[in-house]
Amino acid sequence: MGRYRKTIQYIILAVVLLVGGFAIGNSLFSKSVVLTKGDKPPSFRLAGLDNQVHEWKDYEGQPLIVNFWGTFCPPCRNEMPALQKQYEKWEGQGLELIGINLSEDRLTVESFIRQVGVNFPILMDKDKRTEKAYGLKQYPTTFFIGRNGKIQEVVIGGLLTEEEIEVRVERLMKS
Amino acid sequence: MFQNTKCECGHQNPVGTVLCESCGKPLIEELLTDENAPLEMRYDGVARRSQKSNPHIVDRIWNFFSSVKIAVYLIVITLLGAALGTIFQQESTLINLTERSEFAAYYKEEHGTLGVIYHALGLSRTYESWWFITLLVMIGTSLVVCSLDRVLPLYRALSKQQIRKHLQFITRQQVVYSGDMQGDNEAWITEFGKQLKRKHYRIWQEDGALLAEKNRFSRWGPYINHIGLIIFLLAVLGRGIPAWHMDQYLALYEGETRQIPGTNYYVKNEKFTVDYYPENELANNQKGTKVVKLYETKARLFECTDVCDDPIQEPVLTEVKQHDIRVNSAMSYKGLKLYQNSFQERVRFISVHPTLMDVATGKPIGSFDLLMDDPIEKYEVGPYTLKLNDYYPDFGLDEQNRPMTKTREPNNPAFVFRIQGPNLQAKGEIYIYFPMPSEKSKFYQKLLNDSFKQRGDSQGVFSIQVENPIVDGKMNNIKYSEYTTYLNIRMDKAMPYIWVGAAISMIGLIMGFYWQHRRIWLRIDEGKLSLGGHTNKNSFGLRADVAWALGRTGIEVLPKSLDNRRNVR
Repeated sequence: MGRYRKTIQYIILAVVLLVGGFAIGNSLFSKSVVLTKGDKPPSFRLAGLDNQVHEWKDYEGQPLIVNFWGTFCPPCRNEMPALQKQYEKWEGQGLELIGINLSEDRLTVESFIRQVGVNFPILMDKDKRTEKAYGLKQYPTTFFIGRNGKIQEVVIGGLLTEEEIEVRVERLMKS
Repeated sequence: MFQNTKCECGHQNPVGTVLCESCGKPLIEELLTDENAPLEMRYDGVARRSQKSNPHIVDRIWNFFSSVKIAVYLIVITLLGAALGTIFQQESTLINLTERSEFAAYYKEEHGTLGVIYHALGLSRTYESWWFITLLVMIGTSLVVCSLDRVLPLYRALSKQQIRKHLQFITRQQVVYSGDMQGDNEAWITEFGKQLKRKHYRIWQEDGALLAEKNRFSRWGPYINHIGLIIFLLAVLGRGIPAWHMDQYLALYEGETRQIPGTNYYVKNEKFTVDYYPENELANNQKGTKVVKLYETKARLFECTDVCDDPIQEPVLTEVKQHDIRVNSAMSYKGLKLYQNSFQERVRFISVHPTLMDVATGKPIGSFDLLMDDPIEKYEVGPYTLKLNDYYPDFGLDEQNRPMTKTREPNNPAFVFRIQGPNLQAKGEIYIYFPMPSEKSKFYQKLLNDSFKQRGDSQGVFSIQVENPIVDGKMNNIKYSEYTTYLNIRMDKAMPYIWVGAAISMIGLIMGFYWQHRRIWLRIDEGKLSLGGHTNKNSFGLRADVAWALGRTGIEVLPKSLDNRRNVR
């Protein structure tokens, strides 16, 4: 018995450290879904208006703008043309831009997109799932994601002008 | 300081031994000064396992947790901490809030400055806080270490007991008797043992000495209780594993099917009912108030069996369970529980069944079904084709006076159709239809259709409306949900372990509470009988046993007179 005493002591203390560390660590780094600079955005798998499946991994590794928008949100509607213009300008240099619609009906989205004349991919969120995963609180919210797959900047609320987008795109392309 | 731990009987005892492990002679100085004081019999006087003469750092940590005093402090601090969490409502119970700023605002509004302090200190999340969890982990560690350090030496001591004990050990017990003996001592001892056997004692005899013992197992009660508590505690901490625990809320209007986030299950609210007691069923002091008789969600649970992760296609759902969820009657399926939580009275359109009318004749052409969620784009009505051009679930105008939807909910839906068919202009007729039977929507409908007419998009051939919109005071030809139900969806895989832990703990408690470990030692030295008895509780019972057995062997004593502590207390 005596011979194993030390071993048993060490084993028990190690288990305590492990289990306790896990439990305490869990409570210390409790899950906050608000994404900030440097975070890796959660992956998504959504249908586009083009009836194709769009996935996060299709875009990972490229400078990417993810814009969450809805037709019910005036600033979202208003910044759409600026986004489209910047997309046209930078598309050739590898910029990707996707607009994730905030779980609206397809018809509503389609007709708005047609009116504005947007040609970057529009993805349809379902039951607010992606929106929740990205911890959205306000609309629109735009994520600028660098080549390293990490968020470089989050712009919450509108309205982004062309210049404001441009400055950020330049930073994004440089990264 | 050097301490000689060898007893006069020749037994080498570990550091910290109170009573010699072999003969029971008191070893520590405090016990040697007063030769008549009752002995400290805790853990049979054996040393705690980890006591050492020169402790190492790990030993020091170990010894910290091995202390019962520390354990008591930990428990008291934990209780006080837990009490702090009950001052104001905890964040986890505020289901509509998610952000730190929202919680901060809530506590400020509800409780003023105290609320701000409460939230800032993190007390609004007491039970998830690092310090509370740390305390629980420390209590758990203390449970393991304390038990281990005591149960092993105790087990060792009890499994190899000496029959002949040191005289002082016997005379300093809580129950004692001494007297002169005549006749055959061995025969008397045998007879005394026989009597005790009738009281279910186990007897060991050695020339001129006897040990009788019963219910030793009750000594293991506390340790079994601790094992149960450790399992309980580990299970509670196990809730931190994401797949083990889920607690979320889902709002469903009548007829809605939604996926339960994070699972492969979908739940449908078929119908929600809220019933109130009629006036005559109410007690006098409740008359005139609304007392709820029933909250019920007729629910169906589906499991996705195919194309579950394809955003293009609809998932294939298989019904796995149907249940009328009521308060205290949750739907339960494979560890998933759906509870009725609350409801909201809110009319939400599901579909409408309008009729296409010929304005000139005032006659109906035909009717069709129009869904509020993802309506289909083409409808054939009579000889005409209605193409849905635009859909605004909650109609409004933006800053540039363009039509838009104000929210995602069909609060005031508007459908823009292009109607094509015989005898119409080639581009068809544009018509906007508002199903909501309100003045405002009908006003908009007229205004917009008139403007289409002016622009030449329409010649005003058609109108779309619901026939017999009101029947018996209820909306007709319109499907709508009256209530939105809120279900609390829970999964707790830790629960079976919590029950097992609680059961083991209870078994341990019962063992320790309802049985007592009783021992009687006696020796006869030169015609003088010395008897000592010890029990961990209920010494009254032990004295009765001893007095009874003595009486049966010719020594009449009052049980009371056996109490060695009578002069002390």
